[in-house]
Amino acid sequence: MRLRTVLVVTGLLLIAVVVQTTLFSQTEVFVPDLVMLVVIILSLTRLRPEAVLGIAFLGGLTVDLLGSSVLGLRAMVFTIVAYLALRTRERADLGRVVIGLWAGMLTLGGVLLLLIVGTLFGQTVLLGDGVVGLLLLVPTANTILAWIFAPMVVRFIDRDTTAFRYA
Amino acid sequence: MLSRQAGDRTVPTLVTLLVIGVLLMTFDVRSDGRGVTSVLRNGTQTIVAPLQKGAAFVVNPVLDLVDSLANVATLRETNLALQQEVAELEAEIIALDDDMARLEFYEQLYDLETTGTDIGRTVAEIIGRPDPLDSALIIDKGTNEGIAVGQPVLDTNGYVVGSVQQVTGGTARVVPITVGSDGVAVTVGEQLGVVLPQINDNILRLEVNPARNPVLAGDKVVTSSQSVRFPAGYPVGQVTLDAAPTGAGSLSSLVEPYMNPDNIRVVVVLAWPPDPVAAVTEPTTTTTSTTSTTIGGSTTSSTGSGDG
Repeated sequence: MRLRTVLVVTGLLLIAVVVQTTLFSQTEVFVPDLVMLVVIILSLTRLRPEAVLGIAFLGGLTVDLLGSSVLGLRAMVFTIVAYLALRTRERADLGRVVIGLWAGMLTLGGVLLLLIVGTLFGQTVLLGDGVVGLLLLVPTANTILAWIFAPMVVRFIDRDTTAFRYA
Repeated sequence: MLSRQAGDRTVPTLVTLLVIGVLLMTFDVRSDGRGVTSVLRNGTQTIVAPLQKGAAFVVNPVLDLVDSLANVATLRETNLALQQEVAELEAEIIALDDDMARLEFYEQLYDLETTGTDIGRTVAEIIGRPDPLDSALIIDKGTNEGIAVGQPVLDTNGYVVGSVQQVTGGTARVVPITVGSDGVAVTVGEQLGVVLPQINDNILRLEVNPARNPVLAGDKVVTSSQSVRFPAGYPVGQVTLDAAPTGAGSLSSLVEPYMNPDNIRVVVVLAWPPDPVAAVTEPTTTTTSTTSTTIGGSTTSSTGSGDG
């Protein structure tokens, strides 16, 4: 990866972490998982797949380090989500709406996986009030954000103004 | 448009990262969040904290404004209710002033001295939460203000919120009692019990063992003097379900906590236990007590779990 790409991706993850832990931690209806969304969007770029997996792992690890659940939980889940995104990204290349839905489905899978693995490791802090509602709210918010921002972010990272432009 | 396919090294990279993830999880669970992982957590939180505080400085007033606009219809009623509450509290203050004056008189009369057991309080603002699924709260005060791991946290009404799980120089992380893995030793009437969090619910489960009397909906639940995590007498919630002791002499009911972690913006951290070193070096919040009784040659044993 070039230095510019490293700086852009690091900045993007940092902004996602800060906005996630402050602004979107206090909203009740619109609750995206920004770091997971960044990971999903990065899989649409021309970054090497191994690099995307590594970024997903480090992004998840950062959220783990800031959170109260066991270390490595989100790192693992985000890595799996990134892998699934890399394997299915061709299907997202149909239009903005499809990108949004694709990101939403991956987010749903990620949240479910997070709850399942978290439960296996006894992470009761993840199973608080409204967890079932979050299974719907988080993917929906990520769907909307991906629909709006994903093409723009991909163009910015790849420096390709023609990427994801639909008639 | 997508020119690069997932390469052959994707799967080995995935497997390697997953193995590292599992090892990290195992290491963190085995080390109980201390040692290297604690240093890593503190370091990351220290780096991100200034950004979080800056963002909260901008975001919180905006959210307050939006909240106010959303609730503008009920502002008048809320204002009237608050005015009434202020009047009641002023009357209480006058009554307390009388009590204090009487207390001082008796202290002078009998030459009594205070033992210095007043609990220090640090007011802190909630600046965020780790992510949508993590119910922990990040507050803007840390070791620089005397916050230590294990200290109890209340809301501004004095209701129990939770306890400090991790602390850095300028921030701390609070885990509410509604999601923490440990129970809280409580008193209901004259009975001792423990309240435990439930999955996907803000309501706590109350276990009283041994139970002598029934508990009734509306009974107040306060922290017990048996608790090692909270000082005695702080309100936790109220019973929502009538329950009577079973044949085995135990009782199970539900408690609605007074605090709601979703609505809290400001909390109060208590400097308790008075020696914060003890709180850090002995964070054993869950203890298991086993009592054995020998009756007529046969021995029975009972095991209880809680924080007391």
